[in-house]
Amino acid sequence: MSFISKNKDLLLVHSSMGRVDLPGSVNIMLTPEFYTLKREELPVKYAYQAKKIAPSLFDGLLEDGGVYEYTVFKEDGHWSFIAYDINRITTFLESKGIRADQIGKIYFAQQSVDKFSKPLLLGEKKILNVLDNTVVVVPRMSVGLESDSIDTLTFDNTFTPANGGVNVKGSSSDLLSQKQALTLASIFILFAGIFIVEGMRYSGGNGENNELASLYEEYPSLKSTYTRQGIIDKYRTINKIERKKRDIIKSLSGMIFKGVTLIKVDIGDQNFKAEYMCKTPNAVKHVKNLAKKAHFHTSNTKEKNKLIIEGTI
Amino acid sequence: MNWKRYQNEIIVLGALLIMLFAYMYKYNHTQAQVEGATKSQQSINELKEAAGLKKIWADKNINKKITVLKSIVPSSKVTWIKKKQNVTASYKGLSASELNKLTSKILNLPIEISLLNINKVGTVYNVELKCKW
Repeated sequence: MSFISKNKDLLLVHSSMGRVDLPGSVNIMLTPEFYTLKREELPVKYAYQAKKIAPSLFDGLLEDGGVYEYTVFKEDGHWSFIAYDINRITTFLESKGIRADQIGKIYFAQQSVDKFSKPLLLGEKKILNVLDNTVVVVPRMSVGLESDSIDTLTFDNTFTPANGGVNVKGSSSDLLSQKQALTLASIFILFAGIFIVEGMRYSGGNGENNELASLYEEYPSLKSTYTRQGIIDKYRTINKIERKKRDIIKSLSGMIFKGVTLIKVDIGDQNFKAEYMCKTPNAVKHVKNLAKKAHFHTSNTKEKNKLIIEGTI
Repeated sequence: MNWKRYQNEIIVLGALLIMLFAYMYKYNHTQAQVEGATKSQQSINELKEAAGLKKIWADKNINKKITVLKSIVPSSKVTWIKKKQNVTASYKGLSASELNKLTSKILNLPIEISLLNINKVGTVYNVELKCKW
């Protein structure tokens, strides 16, 4: 973001400036009319530590009624503290036709003190000059620059400081502009609405419940899970065993064909046994194959072409 | 910290949180419905199975239906002993077609076969049947 901000034009803002009409966003450099500067030598290493004590340094120095913010930067071995009233600044900028969303970064003239090698004209009556390494606004008369042929600076983008600068609420340097924020928020709220409506739809009844209700109506005695489970436990085993017995009987019946006679069948609770008399060895072979397919055990007897088939249930 | 400076981000974050809560609301309701549907389906399957099994194996008319095993062959060929819900039947001298009829009936009746013994004696068949219901 700061890389983008540095590519913007730099506009010097002073109290006697006229109204401007900006095509896009710009960086702002404020003259000392909009801030209060104080220098201190403090035994702190980092700017954030210095910034913490900034309010106490300006006690009694600032006008009452303002909402002040502070910025700190290091200059030649001492800390420079700047106090500024952001509301006053933005109000002034708006009065000059500069909206918050057109403001990139706000810099302070003191941050570019080295650039002010000569006086810089601020309208007809004031100049921006450096006194004791401090950028100040002084009357033009005080330095004797009354002639039009004076040697003054021309303000341009080269005055943009390498570091620092502050953002204002709703400025183009913010992570999100107000328009973007409202658009995103609207989209999120729209999705939230969709989710809530879907959630409410899901909380309604469903087809399974209706089917279950009609089944309960049809079988009132099976409403209880315990009753159902009891019935299932009791009859599921019987059902499985009895179906298996019937399948065995059907399989044994399927092994009777021309040349094969069933002579004995014995089906009990645990196992079964069947005896077949075949006319030819081929018939024996065929019955054996059928028994193998049905996973039954086969054995021959002493009697020729007699086959025993058995298995468990 | 100057909250006003982050007003836009806070608005977006707030809306994002509302959307996330709404999504959680939907997700919870969806899950609840899926769980409810699974439970209902399980109950339906259980109920259908219980009803089906009861209909087959707890048939109240089986007492009447079982008599068909007695009447399917000439009475001279049957010895029939019925005690409460148990039957012991002994068939003598059944022809092949009579045996087929009898076994078909046995297979189609919802009875528990305790013993089924078929013996071929000459050209006829003797059958022993013990069953209960």
